[in-house]
Amino acid sequence: MDATGGVTALLEATGVSYSYPGDNPTLALDHLSLEVARNEFVALLGPVGCGKTTLLRIFAGFLTPSEGSVRCAGSTIDGPGWQRGYVLQEEAIFPWMTVRENLEFGLQAKGVDPQARRTVSDELLGLIGLGAFESAHPRGLSAGMSKMVEVARVLATDPEILLMDEPFGALDAQTRARMQDALLDLWEQRKKTVVFVTHDAEEALYLADRIVILSRRPGRIQADFRVDLPRPRTVETRFSPEFLLLKRKVWEATAG
Amino acid sequence: MTRAKRAVVALCAAAALYVALAEVGKGRLPDRIWMGAHYIDNIQLLPTWRSLFEEGTFLVESNILVDSALVSTRRVAIGLAIGSLVGIALGLLTGAAARLETLAEPWVLFFRFTPALALLPLYVVWFGYGEASKVLLIATNVAAVTLLGAHEGVRRVPRVYLEAATVLGARGFFRFRKVVLPAAFPAIFASVRVAAGLAWVTIVVAELIDARMPSLGYLLALSGAYPRVPTMLIAIAAVGAMVLLFDGLALLLHARATRWMRRAA
Repeated sequence: MDATGGVTALLEATGVSYSYPGDNPTLALDHLSLEVARNEFVALLGPVGCGKTTLLRIFAGFLTPSEGSVRCAGSTIDGPGWQRGYVLQEEAIFPWMTVRENLEFGLQAKGVDPQARRTVSDELLGLIGLGAFESAHPRGLSAGMSKMVEVARVLATDPEILLMDEPFGALDAQTRARMQDALLDLWEQRKKTVVFVTHDAEEALYLADRIVILSRRPGRIQADFRVDLPRPRTVETRFSPEFLLLKRKVWEATAG
Repeated sequence: MTRAKRAVVALCAAAALYVALAEVGKGRLPDRIWMGAHYIDNIQLLPTWRSLFEEGTFLVESNILVDSALVSTRRVAIGLAIGSLVGIALGLLTGAAARLETLAEPWVLFFRFTPALALLPLYVVWFGYGEASKVLLIATNVAAVTLLGAHEGVRRVPRVYLEAATVLGARGFFRFRKVVLPAAFPAIFASVRVAAGLAWVTIVVAELIDARMPSLGYLLALSGAYPRVPTMLIAIAAVGAMVLLFDGLALLLHARATRWMRRAA
């Protein structure tokens, strides 16, 4: 909220359309408009192929919309950058570097000196609880730990926005639940604007402040509502009646 | 069973088979062969172990075998080093810059499929009868293989790594040095390993035709001139052993350099 009481949008998509190029151009997004406020945790929910990954990649700067515009803090997004951290489902941790080197990578790219880098990576290692693995190579980590390192890696450069594309999709249910809690812990400590893409309604409800549901291709916003569950979210939240009501709401919204 | 044990067992089996064949063939194989303008008598097509052992001892005691092996190894090593450096450097360039690739491609194809034999007379004319022509011939073949290896290595870096690096703010040379190169290293090294074998093939051919000084190729050529079959077999076995040695070293180096790859990525 700014001084006048209006919500300051950090991420804005205005009338965004996107067509995949090729012989038969397919319309992935259809004049979609979305505003994400600062420090809001938004879950983008939708079936496979609804364009949620496309929208996220447009926000990340990897794709340019065919129509409309995307803005970050007022200025047009014209490419990927450290200001918009991006984590995907595929394993992108650099296996030839140690955990600490991975964490410090973004800072090294910025030209930060080793001492300052070390301070940041020490802090991050503490936050994700992997201090004992600082000199380990990713091959010594489980899939879940590896993913947390990736999340911490993008946080190292202190971006304003965190874009996540089904980062826990490849993990088993228990690891996923642990990772969700770890992510929320991290988010509580380092408030960020998060756009989290998932096809799992429960994950969306557990993590987010707000759910945006996209329709089947071409993607349009089908529903957009707040998740007013109390924070911090715990395992009890998952079994509360409010949670079930919200699940039903999501179900009904996507049934159409 | 470990790889080394399996190799030893295979070698022993091959040796046993050879002994059997040589014994069986002693009385039965023809000992008169047609070579060149006339028949040559008293040839052992499959020399028995005794004659192999006798001639082998002579070759080792007179230092002929060791000197020849050392000379040939030196040429291969230098040619491999030069060729790898040049090939990898060019391959990295063409892999990273598409425009350079289209310029270099026809040259790469030409050198890749042109056999050593075809280039040798040209190299002798250009570089003389000495070491240079042989070493450069090896280097040419090696460069063609490693160029392709480095090029493909760079091109095949998984997109996720490139995107992750870009998102973290890595650009240009920094990204190349810290992400592209390490990711491409396994493919590059694999091509160097292949090139090592090719280097040996090349040197033997070069030394057969332009025989000078002690060398394994010269030894093969000499033994072919008499002919002395036991020496031929020993020289061939020596080349085979050197190839195995180089390959083994390459494997060791590769294993050490890519410890981080142990987990299936």
